[in-house]
Amino acid sequence: MTAVQDRARNVRRAPLPLFGKVFTDSWRGLLGWALGLAAAAFLYLPLYPSISGGSGMQDIIKNLPPELIKTLNYDQIGTGAGYAQATVFGLIGFVLMTIAATSWGAGALGGDEESGRLELTLAHGVTRVQVAAARFCAIAVKILALSTLTFLAVLTLNDSARLEIQVENLLGTSLMFGGVSLLTASVALLGGALSGRRIGGIAAGAGVAVVGYIFNALGNQSASLEWLHNVSPYYWAFGNSPLSTGADPTTIAVFYALSLLLAATAALALRQRDIGV
Amino acid sequence: MSHDALTQPRAVLGPGQAPDAAIDVVDLVKQFGRNRALNGVTFQVPRGSVFGVIGPNGAGKTTIMRALLDIIRPTSGHATVLGTPSRNAGPELRRRIGYLPGELILEGRTSGRRLLAHYADISGPVAAGHVHELAERLGFDLDRPVRKLSKGNKQKLGIVQAFMHQPELLVLDEPTSGLDPLMQQEFLKMVREARDRGQTVFLSSHVISEIQQAADEVAILRDGRIVTINSVEELRTTAIRHLRLVASGIRPTDLAAALGALEGVTTLECTVTPAGDAEAVATLSSEIAPFLQAISTLQLKDLMLEEPDLEESVLKLYSAPMPAAAAAGLARHADAQTDVTK
Repeated sequence: MTAVQDRARNVRRAPLPLFGKVFTDSWRGLLGWALGLAAAAFLYLPLYPSISGGSGMQDIIKNLPPELIKTLNYDQIGTGAGYAQATVFGLIGFVLMTIAATSWGAGALGGDEESGRLELTLAHGVTRVQVAAARFCAIAVKILALSTLTFLAVLTLNDSARLEIQVENLLGTSLMFGGVSLLTASVALLGGALSGRRIGGIAAGAGVAVVGYIFNALGNQSASLEWLHNVSPYYWAFGNSPLSTGADPTTIAVFYALSLLLAATAALALRQRDIGV
Repeated sequence: MSHDALTQPRAVLGPGQAPDAAIDVVDLVKQFGRNRALNGVTFQVPRGSVFGVIGPNGAGKTTIMRALLDIIRPTSGHATVLGTPSRNAGPELRRRIGYLPGELILEGRTSGRRLLAHYADISGPVAAGHVHELAERLGFDLDRPVRKLSKGNKQKLGIVQAFMHQPELLVLDEPTSGLDPLMQQEFLKMVREARDRGQTVFLSSHVISEIQQAADEVAILRDGRIVTINSVEELRTTAIRHLRLVASGIRPTDLAAALGALEGVTTLECTVTPAGDAEAVATLSSEIAPFLQAISTLQLKDLMLEEPDLEESVLKLYSAPMPAAAAAGLARHADAQTDVTK
């Protein structure tokens, strides 16, 4: 009879295999999102001097319907901070980050379960909570990386585009940007964990982001709708113009704490369910 | 192949030594909405044996296996795997199990080698070089991207993944699906070697021919119930055999009367051969000794008794009304149960 090998020897294990796997699987995607965000910053921000510099641009904006201006947050576009907020953090960057966060969150558990791959992972020596935690942490790292990149891109252009944004305000806003995106990702993670489908996560994540954006825009329109700001994560993050007035550290902390809470709920939800049915 | 290190991580028990079963399933019920996938399944798999479960699609084979791995939770009843209740079992238990899902879906953008390295990271420890050995054995290229692999090669990857950490228990759902006949043979050899090393193998198939060479015992599952548990030997003795015999000095009608009276002889047809002898074609579903005794008085010119057709007899168990099928298997089922617990 062949003896069973001593299997404890000759073993090399990757540290944090579940966490690391996310990056070996998705570094290309992360690179793509990073390029997209950098492109957005480098295309929009250098235009600021020509818009603020007494050209016809301000007149064009003044002639836009006021509702549209409020929806797009163009009312503060006359300052560098307002312009960067309205274009990068509040619009194109926000859209890119929301899509990335939603797809990562929805794919991490719901998409993986739907495809059938989660079953095999869970059949190995891991717990469901470990899998959920590792994947949430990986998403958090990716979102923070993209926020850092946005921070660096805006910082690089700050002087040349004459934005005059204070570095600490930029830092706070970038953290806020990451926080609101992580919240979206966590909602998507929870949606996927509860439904076992990618679409469940996408509906939840995109739903929260889009509804938050719409509530912010509606709340901007009139005093009677202002209460909508209270339930809009978008408003929590950007309603007080953090690029010009500074980001509230408590709000930043709330975003990250809430994300953590949602991720913990997702882990517990996953633990209770039958997988792949 | 020689193994240099001989320290065994755990006792490998021989037959008769096993105080506890590798798998002990008691009255397992699983309800999915209004559909009852498992309807009170009870069986034991002794350590160091190969246990097959066969049944038509949707019989509940995959559901049992998923419950053993704690991927789904049974509605009632319980399963004990390697001495640990499977429900909410920790990762320590699953490190001791190798699992091949019935619907194998693998990450496509990586190579087989990298994917296996990842599973090795979250699995029981894999001895250096063992993955390479297994891949070589199955004729499988580790460096090709997974998405470019054929179904059979993906299946090989899944098999390597299940075997590589030499787990105490292998749970293999339709392991031979997609493999060509040569690879099926190689795989069955791997299963027998695993058993000889003391590993337990629990595998499923929808056809018995794929696993009859390797399995010590076979449970036949239908509509979420076990119809019967037999050893392959027992199945063979009760299986249907096709027979043909030619006897001289007897009229076909007499031959028909003589054979028709025997137990287990069905679909009997007697004709006259061109040479004037009587020829009988029939199926035999009882043991052969009484039959041979009965025909020993005939002047036989030719006798052909085919290999038992397990497939056909299993198909009969699939399709017979449940009480009849259960009655056919019940006595043996009881035997098998006592055998197992001995």
